[in-house]
Amino acid sequence: MEPGHNQRGVVAPLDTPGVVVTDVWRFFGDFPALAGMSFTAPYGQVTALVGPNGAGKTTLLLILASLLKPNRGRAVVAGCDPTVDPAGVRANTGWMPDAFGVYDQLTVREYLQFFGRAYNLDRATVDTRARELLDLVHLAEFTDRPVHVLSRGQKQRLALTRALVHRPRVLLLDEPASGLDPRSRVELRDILRDLAAQGAAVLVSSHILTELEEIADRVVLVAGGRTVGEFAMADLREQAVRPYRVRALDRAPLVSALQDKGIEHSTVNGAVELAQLTSAQAADALAGLVTAGVRVVAFEPLGSDLESMYLAMTEERR
Amino acid sequence: MNASHVWLVIAQEFRIRLRTGRWRWLLGAWLVLLTLFTLLLDLGLHTGYAYVPDNSLRGVPLFGFLMFFILGSMLVISPALTAQTINGDRERGTLATLQVTRLRPAEIATGKLLASWSVGLVALALSIPFAAYAMTQGGINLVRTAAVYGVVALLIGTVCAVSQALSALLARSITSALLSYVVTAALAVGTLIAFGLGLQLTRERVVVEQPYGGSYEYWESRPERVWWLLAPNPFVILADAAPRVPPRVTRSGDLVMVEYYDPLSSIGNEVRRLRQPHGSMYYMGMNEYYDEHGNPVTPPEERPVWPYGLAFSILLGAGSLAVTIRRLHTPSDRLPRGVRVA
Repeated sequence: MEPGHNQRGVVAPLDTPGVVVTDVWRFFGDFPALAGMSFTAPYGQVTALVGPNGAGKTTLLLILASLLKPNRGRAVVAGCDPTVDPAGVRANTGWMPDAFGVYDQLTVREYLQFFGRAYNLDRATVDTRARELLDLVHLAEFTDRPVHVLSRGQKQRLALTRALVHRPRVLLLDEPASGLDPRSRVELRDILRDLAAQGAAVLVSSHILTELEEIADRVVLVAGGRTVGEFAMADLREQAVRPYRVRALDRAPLVSALQDKGIEHSTVNGAVELAQLTSAQAADALAGLVTAGVRVVAFEPLGSDLESMYLAMTEERR
Repeated sequence: MNASHVWLVIAQEFRIRLRTGRWRWLLGAWLVLLTLFTLLLDLGLHTGYAYVPDNSLRGVPLFGFLMFFILGSMLVISPALTAQTINGDRERGTLATLQVTRLRPAEIATGKLLASWSVGLVALALSIPFAAYAMTQGGINLVRTAAVYGVVALLIGTVCAVSQALSALLARSITSALLSYVVTAALAVGTLIAFGLGLQLTRERVVVEQPYGGSYEYWESRPERVWWLLAPNPFVILADAAPRVPPRVTRSGDLVMVEYYDPLSSIGNEVRRLRQPHGSMYYMGMNEYYDEHGNPVTPPEERPVWPYGLAFSILLGAGSLAVTIRRLHTPSDRLPRGVRVA
């Protein structure tokens, strides 16, 4: 099946986002795991789903992956409603759960061949696709080794190839970076950025904020089963306020210059920290210090945009 | 249902199972067990088993007891083949990734069932040399052997399907495995108990007026009302479905001697007798029939039990498969207690 076509052969309009979630509710017993979540994940971008444990991220991804029915509300994935047309969703969606098993007895090649065939790819296509993907995640040398010799991070990468085997247009990844070493994380970031650049809608859930900052174009903050905020990463960078650390050759002129300009500051461990500033305010402060003749050697933001935003958002809800 | 998808699942199940390597030991142990049983049974029949009228028919009881043993063993083995196929995969975290592929629930369920069933059939096939040995001992033909093997093969499938449905219904694999054995025991032993208890409830008081005044009374069981409780029993199905070996009838003057020496036919005849209308007294499974005074009568209508039992087994198996398919259907609406999708 061509991407863009759902099960009934209807062409999904490409200008609609890859994932549209509208007021989705899901109860487990009386407990609302999702309580009216809404957001969109457009094609060509990486959207990060960020929230504390129990915010409903995994439940939402299960609904998008056509495994769970929402009790209320509607989700559209790759132009198909997972409740009505799960086959259409599955043909165009790659899903990687946070906890998963692999068939330990199979070799890496057999593992991918099996899933390729299960996604209706013919044998020849599966073989080429398997080679491509194993090269992509640097597992080519393990092609004929059994899956059980792989480390946790390598299994994670193998699971990513499984999710990609049928060239999905929408990629749903639940905590993909957990268990990955720093190098693998950088590689994962590059892979996801490439996929988005090729036009896929990538939805990544995580609570490891620092890395999402480098991956994501958009951020959806969720808590308590609800969407708390939806931002473009670029806007977030501008709006986010955070502390800055300043170091100068001599501390005295720095402190007096700050006092002159009325910039709130404190001294922590011998370094001077400026209170919450936006990017624009920080730039002005630095320019002011330099023109005042303070010999600044370091001016660095503390924490990340996303982290401060996340903390602020979850603070409000308490 | 797409046949290539089913094949894909079957092949996958086989690869996963065979590579664990445990099957070699299990099949080896099974062969040792079969050899021991056949050897001892054969020796026992040699030392003068009362059933065997002459040595040329020794294969008949040998085959009959052997098949009962094989069926009993398969009832023990079969639940283990499928009792964890669904919830075991769920516990290992490999089920959800399968469900999001293009494989349909029916294809996954059927593929897994066929794979387990064929493992059971391989175990059954290993017993063929022993049945063949019984055939060389006389009295058993190929049709009888084929019919009996066909019934055992089908019963293995039923037990596999029931165990699989339980593994789809229950969250924990240990619970479903245990319950599979309970169901098998209910079929093999529970039906006998139910029949025994049911028979007591059919007892009726019969009052006989005596021609010279006065009367006496007695209690009479009516097995024709509860025979069906025995029909689902796998051993009854096997025994009754096996083509009959006629008893040996010898005559000297007015004395007719009927010797039964086939355990399968004996049980089959007995359950058919339970179905006979009230008041008839017939010896079943013979070419000639006599009433209680020894006068020849026209043979009664044979009322086989096995078609009911076999139909029950097939329905049970098909129903179980349907339950499994239903439980594998996604997106799921309600989740059973303790089940995580992924």
